[in-house]
Amino acid sequence: MDNLIEMRNIIKVYPPNVVALDDVSVDFREGEIHSIVGENGAGKSTLMKILYGLTPADSGEILLSGKTVSFHNPGEAIAAGIGMVHQEIVLIPQYTVWENIVLGVEPVRSFGRLDVEKAQQLVRQKIDEFQFNIDIHARVEDISVAARQKVEILTLLYRNVSILILDEPTSVLTPQEIPQLFNELARLRDNGHTILFISHRLEEVLELSDRITVMRKGKKIATVEASQTNRQELARMMVGREVLFLSRRTTQSPGRVVFHIENLNLRASDGRTRLKEINLDVRSGEIVGLAGVEGNGQFELVNTIMGIQKPTSGRISVDSTDITHAPILERRRKIAFVPQDRGKMGASLTADIVDNAIMTHHRLNDQFSLWSGLLLNYPFARHFTDVLAEKFAVVMPSRSAPFRALSGGNQQKVILGRELMLNSPFILLDQPTRGLDVGSIEYVHDQILHMRSEGKAILMISADLEEIFLLSDRILVLYRGQIVADIPVEQTSLEEIGTLMLEGKPRDE
Amino acid sequence: MKAFIGLINGMISGATPILLAALGGVFTYYAGVFNIAMEGMMLVGAFFAVLGSYFLGSWLWGIGLAIFGSLALALIFILFAVGLKTDEFVTGIALNLFALGITTYLLRQIFKVKGVFSNPGIIPIPAIKIPLIENIPVLGKILSGQNLMVYIAILITWLSYFLIFRTRFGLRLRAAGYNAARLDSSGVSSAWMRVWSLLICGVFCGLAGAFLSLGYVNLFAENMSAGRGWISLAAIILVNGHPLGVALISLLFGFSDGLGLLLQGYQAPAQFTAMVPYLATLIALYFYAVRAKEKRIR
Repeated sequence: MDNLIEMRNIIKVYPPNVVALDDVSVDFREGEIHSIVGENGAGKSTLMKILYGLTPADSGEILLSGKTVSFHNPGEAIAAGIGMVHQEIVLIPQYTVWENIVLGVEPVRSFGRLDVEKAQQLVRQKIDEFQFNIDIHARVEDISVAARQKVEILTLLYRNVSILILDEPTSVLTPQEIPQLFNELARLRDNGHTILFISHRLEEVLELSDRITVMRKGKKIATVEASQTNRQELARMMVGREVLFLSRRTTQSPGRVVFHIENLNLRASDGRTRLKEINLDVRSGEIVGLAGVEGNGQFELVNTIMGIQKPTSGRISVDSTDITHAPILERRRKIAFVPQDRGKMGASLTADIVDNAIMTHHRLNDQFSLWSGLLLNYPFARHFTDVLAEKFAVVMPSRSAPFRALSGGNQQKVILGRELMLNSPFILLDQPTRGLDVGSIEYVHDQILHMRSEGKAILMISADLEEIFLLSDRILVLYRGQIVADIPVEQTSLEEIGTLMLEGKPRDE
Repeated sequence: MKAFIGLINGMISGATPILLAALGGVFTYYAGVFNIAMEGMMLVGAFFAVLGSYFLGSWLWGIGLAIFGSLALALIFILFAVGLKTDEFVTGIALNLFALGITTYLLRQIFKVKGVFSNPGIIPIPAIKIPLIENIPVLGKILSGQNLMVYIAILITWLSYFLIFRTRFGLRLRAAGYNAARLDSSGVSSAWMRVWSLLICGVFCGLAGAFLSLGYVNLFAENMSAGRGWISLAAIILVNGHPLGVALISLLFGFSDGLGLLLQGYQAPAQFTAMVPYLATLIALYFYAVRAKEKRIR
């Protein structure tokens, strides 16, 4: 097989001194699925963005079919047959599938009229050619994330792209949806397309790829044949040390019920039921994992627990105190809360680190106020921030830097630290490791397990099933606003939970 | 009966400038530009229409110059809001205040009058009599004999609908407003779509202004747009930019305009009747807000 693309000695430095790519050379062959793995910040996305013309390289060259090329924007890359599907899917929700696909290269009739029939026919042709299963008349806002991803891929195929770059496409899919994507990708490869697949999930990389390139800290470590390597070896190359894929959960029997939800119902103003008859207990020293495809009521459940939305009926209590109608501040005395959206609900990105570190504490803890609450005790606030940073290993430029100056991992450490230092009996975690790299995830998991051993009651919502299995004592599945399963982790499997997430009931035998 | 026909005709001519400006705003609305400069564009259009008609001796020149003046304002908007990425709201406010200042200044400098310039030398846009139809009792007096710009406005309503929902241009225009990043990544510049929408808005607002000073009345008065640009904005927002909905809302506003004139005939204070269209705007906004609130909760 010939090298279709050769990237030679690529160097990329982000000012002032972050070396994103350090002399990386890699080649991609025609008709292969080539995975690029590495932790966050390893440079895999940057490398692909350079190939796609989104970012210029500082030095190095790119050869496409033996000829030197350099794309200044994605349009030029697409014209040369290279297309990229980003992690964040950017579509027009108000448009139908076919309108999204043809946008930019629409067939027209006289007077600039859209040739609707021809457009639909062209899109259908592509769908048939690659056996995608999708309704071209569906509105994008009504279809699943997996289907949206297909629309992105089809958009590129419609433009006759032969090289597809996919940036962590499986991170938004459920376990059941992944095999279908892999089948489609394999079919594309068999049709002669070249696929470059960015991921940090080693099992799927091994399953899908022909060859794998491992990157670490801006350097290429190696390119290996998928058939001649294994997960341990890849992980070692990726992280630079041995990684254990075992749960560090110790056996421990849970104590009294700390958090209790009884017959909770939530109906939206349009009459649609968002939460239906939720009954849920979390005991001291127990981690309960709440699995479910996003949009099945997780958002509403979190909002109801935190007092942002009012339930239609039902009861919520912590430590036998009814908090169903309690104001938010009152709830915060008993609930530590790590929201999924760091930048919006979890912190203020423009405020400085001290301000973010003391949020909530400054209302609940008298040590933070002077003159009976008229002034904030800033010396104490700074001291508190230092303690937090020390305790939770936060790396920060200075206490007074804006929160956005921190990396995602450090932001999450500050939020997690702030919440855990509230020392509340109940901890609500909503996607606690979303967007973090392997090292930070490991750290957050350790903290969560530490809280468990301290006897806290923990409810964790996560889209990452592996995380749920790694940490939870019990797994609940939320499906269309209902809890459809409550199973101890030892008695279930990824497949069972995956099926429950998608269908709301166990698969028929 | 005569009062009724008068009310209907008052409604139609009251609706026309709002409709034309609103249709221009519909394009910027779909392109994702928060454009509030219709008021200023219309006012400049009205002034230049009188200028053209009076000095060049033809209402056609009046319309031409109105479009030119309004487009000049649109180009300034484009330079700032699209080119230099200034805040659209602030830019719009500045342009509206500038339009008021420059037309008042030019009125005093060129025509040497304060307040109102009225002169038999201003050639109005003619009314169009449609043969046969004009003979139909009652209906004939409504369907025929309207100002040329009224018929143009009807044509433009349909044209806007066609352009926005049936053509490639429309698909890209709406894409620019719904999700500019997607349009850009598909190889079409969303900034250019915003430029086009503003140019179209400039042309339509020029027509609206020309109708104000050469059709609705035959004179130029300081600040004669009198908030119609703002009402057109309200009309757009109320129906989420649909051209046919905009036409309906414009008629409603036109009706309250006509009603105001009618009430004046019954000795209602002029200040009160002048208030009616704005009162109608507030009431309409109330219902819109209630509906939007329900939507948001859902």
